[in-house]
Order: sequence, then structure tokens, then C-alpha cells
Amino acid sequence: MKSALHNMNPAAKFIVVTICMLTMAFFFNPWTPLLMWIGVLLIQLLFSRIDWKVWILFMIPFVIMAFGYFWTTLVFAEDKSGPVVLSIWSINITEVQMNHALSLSFRVLAFSGLSLLFALTTNPVSFILSLMQQMKLSPKIAYSILVGYQFLPVLKDEFVQIQQAHRLRGAIQEKNAIHRLLHMRKILLPMLAGAVRKAERAAFAMEARGFTGEKRTSFYKVIRVGRLDGYLVGLFMLLLIISCTSVLYIN
Amino acid sequence: MIRFDNVSFRYPDEEEWIFEDLSFSVESGERVVITGPSGSGKTTLLYLCNRLYPENCDGIVKGSVTLFTKESQSYSPGEVNHRIATVFQDPDAQFCMMTVEEELAFTLENLNVEREEMDGRIQDVLDLTGLTKFRHSIIQQLSGGQKQRIAVVCALIMEPKILLLDEPISHLDPYTAKQFISWLDELQQERSLTILAIEHRLDLWGGFFDREIQLEQINDVNPMSKRISSKQEGQSLEVANVGTESFLNDVSFSLNRGEVAILAGPNGSGKSTLLKALCKLIPAHGTVRPKHLGYVPQSPEFLFVTKTVRDEIAFGGGTDADELLSRLHLAAVADAHPFAVSHGQKRRVAIASMLCDGREIILMDEPTSGQDAASMVELFGLIDERAREGTTFLIVTHDMEFAFHVADSVLLMKGGSLTGKFDAAQVWRDEKLLAEHHLLQPKGWMEHEVCFA
Repeated sequence: MKSALHNMNPAAKFIVVTICMLTMAFFFNPWTPLLMWIGVLLIQLLFSRIDWKVWILFMIPFVIMAFGYFWTTLVFAEDKSGPVVLSIWSINITEVQMNHALSLSFRVLAFSGLSLLFALTTNPVSFILSLMQQMKLSPKIAYSILVGYQFLPVLKDEFVQIQQAHRLRGAIQEKNAIHRLLHMRKILLPMLAGAVRKAERAAFAMEARGFTGEKRTSFYKVIRVGRLDGYLVGLFMLLLIISCTSVLYIN
Repeated sequence: MIRFDNVSFRYPDEEEWIFEDLSFSVESGERVVITGPSGSGKTTLLYLCNRLYPENCDGIVKGSVTLFTKESQSYSPGEVNHRIATVFQDPDAQFCMMTVEEELAFTLENLNVEREEMDGRIQDVLDLTGLTKFRHSIIQQLSGGQKQRIAVVCALIMEPKILLLDEPISHLDPYTAKQFISWLDELQQERSLTILAIEHRLDLWGGFFDREIQLEQINDVNPMSKRISSKQEGQSLEVANVGTESFLNDVSFSLNRGEVAILAGPNGSGKSTLLKALCKLIPAHGTVRPKHLGYVPQSPEFLFVTKTVRDEIAFGGGTDADELLSRLHLAAVADAHPFAVSHGQKRRVAIASMLCDGREIILMDEPTSGQDAASMVELFGLIDERAREGTTFLIVTHDMEFAFHVADSVLLMKGGSLTGKFDAAQVWRDEKLLAEHHLLQPKGWMEHEVCFA
């Protein structure tokens, strides 16, 4: 139960999340995105074991953004028709303004909620494998991404080493954030030079293992589509329908 | 198996041929090694054998390369690679997947092996090579020696006829390299493989190869002669109880002016960590005197922050940059970009900039790895010259030949602690002490002994 989302076929999850986002773009009312957001939260609560601390950390910037949208739309709205529902200081806020502001900010929350649901429950390697096996992504692209992914920890080590070397030379002014940012350029140059060399070697290594980039006939690690995926896709669709039709029964 | 008939090769944007009119052949079951200094085209030659070249570099080839029975150009890319498998030099840049199992499966997928067969073949090849326990290991977390073995396994799972080796032991400590070679020896006999290797130093291989092909005569096999100690009176470096929270146990030692010390020990024994702790690059406790030490990482370009060699040396604010330029033979490239000069020159720039900063003690991390005889001699000359002028060196290296020629004293490390600081001659004599630290007696020492016996 708790691992259903993690076990879901990544390609299927990707499609269903994309459909939800695209459909929501056509609904401009506060209720659809709000219900979607709450629904996504419930699904995550029930069917995943994500680290909620991480989730909150990622959510903070989106909440700030949502509030920003909310406030600017309230204050700088063009369409000021409709009855006044709220007065703050000397600003009168009409119903139309309120609806616009709420729907924009809920939209931000719903979109970020959906993206986080995907990002936090999907293993990037199985996602690429699944794209290749279910969505006919070419092995050439898929394996290039996978190999690149292996290099991330190596690049991180290198970054730290260069940073240490520069600090030894007194080239990093620790206090000034802008200087530090400008200094990144000098760290990235040797990394880039190294990366070009590494990329060539990796390409040789792949070819030496007989990699030709052709479609392959069999996979060692098969990513399947199963009954569980059907149930979960159904659940997401149900949520999508409920939130899209909310306009009809809430008013 | 492989036949070269009057083969010449050059890169498209260069006038000069890398090699010309080369003819040789390798028969089934043979163990052949190709030797030559760097730049003589060893690697190019190897890449012609597995068809990575000329395709991937648009090189120009004259003559004919025959692989098995067909002309090499009549194969399509990747087609011949499962019969001619390759093990590359750098253990860090020849894997595509996360775990050993995935890497092996990737290879099998490339060969379009049925899924049902895969598991059995992975198990078989791991049993054959005695590496079953690493099946689920994460490759990047293995040691250099283990990675090279895994690379051989990945080659073997394709059931190749020929195994190409590209300086496979240049990143390993001598003891690990020896073990790797004897393991390979058994494997070759069991599978009756044909082995074609390139290597610039044959010291450790013993009688492994049946035949040697020299691409270019190496003028002088060992032009380094044992350094005359330039150790002077007066301490220049004093280290007391330096250690880190997690790994490095308290280390204390001292070095004199003009002393060249080698820091050696097994892979992962904390040598690099100690250097970084001494330079305060990582948080460490204890005291180091003087406070500022010079540090040259394995890739000297990591240090560079300016656009010309001259600026680079003067960066720390020292005033005698011009003098240092000429003293370290860098005047000719003073206005070049530090990334554009040769590797040996980069190292000189790094040392010069440290000296210009008033850092009279130079710590070097693995300056010998992947270097051929000529650049080794250059490094030797550089260190010798500087030490005579009073610079103190602490050098991490696996290369005991080099260490033998250059060292006044040897610091041995094991499992995060310093075993002690020894007089160089005393260490070379003590075979047991060396073996405990995964090191072998340098050949230079044994010859030396014979002379004076």
C-alpha cells in the first residue's frame, strides 16, 4: 500500500501527471486546482513513503510564489467588477478579483504538488529505462543520459577539489556573494575541460562494450506495466474528474 | 588474428604521421605487448585494433588492418567489439552503469542475448573470475584494483577471442598490480585468450608476455640516477598531532630544508587526506609550522585562476615572478594561457606560483600516475633542482622506482595512521615492511645492491 506510488510504472506516472497538468490549464477557477492539490496530498499520504521534511523544504519556495501571485493579482487587478467581498485598509476587493487571485495561487500549488509527487517517488534510472521500454525512447539517448548520471558524483568531487585548490591560493573571497558567483566561472573552466575528456572516454567505453545504439531485443531489468498501474491511473483520473467538475456542484 | 600490413596513421589536422609503414601480426593464444614512449602512437594503434579509430577521430589510414579474416573497415561500428574486447587505462572512466550487475547486463543487452540466458552468464563469468561477492557492488565505490578486474570481467562476458589492454596497471599500487597480473595470467590460461597490451613500463609484468613490439626505441631505459641527498640542517616543516575527526589518526613528523620525502601506502590509506589536512583544505586539528604550505594536486590545472602563466605565478602577490619564470624554465611560455601548456609545464607553473607565494614546502599528490619515462625524468629533474635550492618536498606516489631515485626519507601510511618516518635506504631493505604497505622493492635498489655486494 505505502509503496504503491514508488512501484508505479514511471512512464505511466509521467503520462498521467502530464495529463492532469494540461487539463488543469483549461480551468480558471479556484476550486479545481485546490481540489487537485488536496487530492495529490491525500494520494501521497496514503500511497507513498516520502520524507515529508524534504517535501516541505521543496514546497516553501512554491508557497511563497503562490502568495506573491495572490497578493499582486489582488492589488493590481484590471477587472474590478462585481460586489466587494473584502476591504483591507483602503483597498476594496471584489469577488472577481478574489477568484482570480485564488485560482492563480492554487494553480501554482497544484502544479508544484504534482511535480513533487513525481520527482519524490520516481527513481531516475528506472524512469529512463521505462521511457525506453514503454515509450520507445531511442537507446542512444537513454543510455547517454544514464552514463551522464553516473558522472554526477565524480563531477561533484572534482568541484570540491578545485574549490579547495583555489581557496589555498586565496582566490576565493568568502564574504562577498557576488564575487563568489563570478568566481564560479574559473572553477567551471577546468571542469569543462575535464568533462570533454571524460565524455570521449565514456563514449569509447560504451562502444567497446558493443553498444551500437540500435533497438535492443531484450532487457535485463524489465520495467513492467501491471494492474497496480491501472488502479493508480484510474485514481488520478477520478481525482481529475472530481476537481474539474467541482464548478458544477460547488456553486 | 590481427594483422597490420604497412599501416600508417595520422590525425586529420596534423601533418606528421603518428607511425608509418607498420607491419606485424598477432597469432591466436599469444601474449604480445607494444611498448614505446608517450606520443609514439601506442594508444592509437590499440584503437585501430578495436575499430574505435579511425571512425571516431576521422584519422587517415594507409595500408590495411585485418581483424580475424576480414578487412577492419568492412565491419560496422560496434560489430567486432564483442570479439575484440578492451580494458582501458583509467579505472574511473570506463563504466556506464551503477552496479557491477547492471554493467554486465548492459554488455549482454548490447549483444542481444536472451533475457533468460543473462543471469546464468553473469553468474558464470563472476564465478570464473572469483568476483561473485561484488555482483551487487556499486562500481564507483570499489578500489582501483577491483575496478580494473571488473573491467576485465565486462570484457570477458562477451566471450571475446582477443583481449586488448590499455596500460591497465598504471593507476594501481605495485602490490595490487602484481596481484592483478597473476590473476590475469591464470585467466588467460583457462580461456586461451589472445592478449595484446600496450604498456610503457614492463617492470611489474615479469615474464607475462611472449613477445614485445617496440614502436620507437626508448633511448635510455632508466636515465634517472639516484639523487644525491640535498637535505640541509634546520627544520622547515613541523607537524604535530594532525588528524581529522573521522578518518585520520594523529600524525606527527618533521622535515628538514631541502629534504625530499615520499609518502606511500596502499590505496585508500589516507595519503591524500593527510596532504589536504596539512594544507588546511579540510577541517583538521593539530599544528603545522609554517602555516602556509604549497600544494600541487594530481591535475595541476585545478590551481589555475588567471589567463597567463606570468599572472598565474604572480597571483599570490609575490614580487619575484620574473625571476621564477626563468628559474623554472617558463620564460618561453610566460604569456601563454596556463591551460594551453604541456602537462610538465603546468606542474612547473603550479610549483612556481607556490614558491612565489612564499610557500617553501611543496606537497605533491600523485605526480607520477599515468606519466611515461620522459615526463618522469622531467619531474625528477624539477624536484632535484628545487630541493637543491632548499625547497622541501612531500610527495605521494605509488611508483617505487621513482621513489627510490628521488627520496631522502619515506613516510609510510596504513589505514589512516602514519606507521612512521623512515630513512629511505632502510625502507628499501625491509621487504616485510614494504609488503605490509602494499609496496614492492624497487628494481633500482636490487641492482644497486648487486653492484655493491
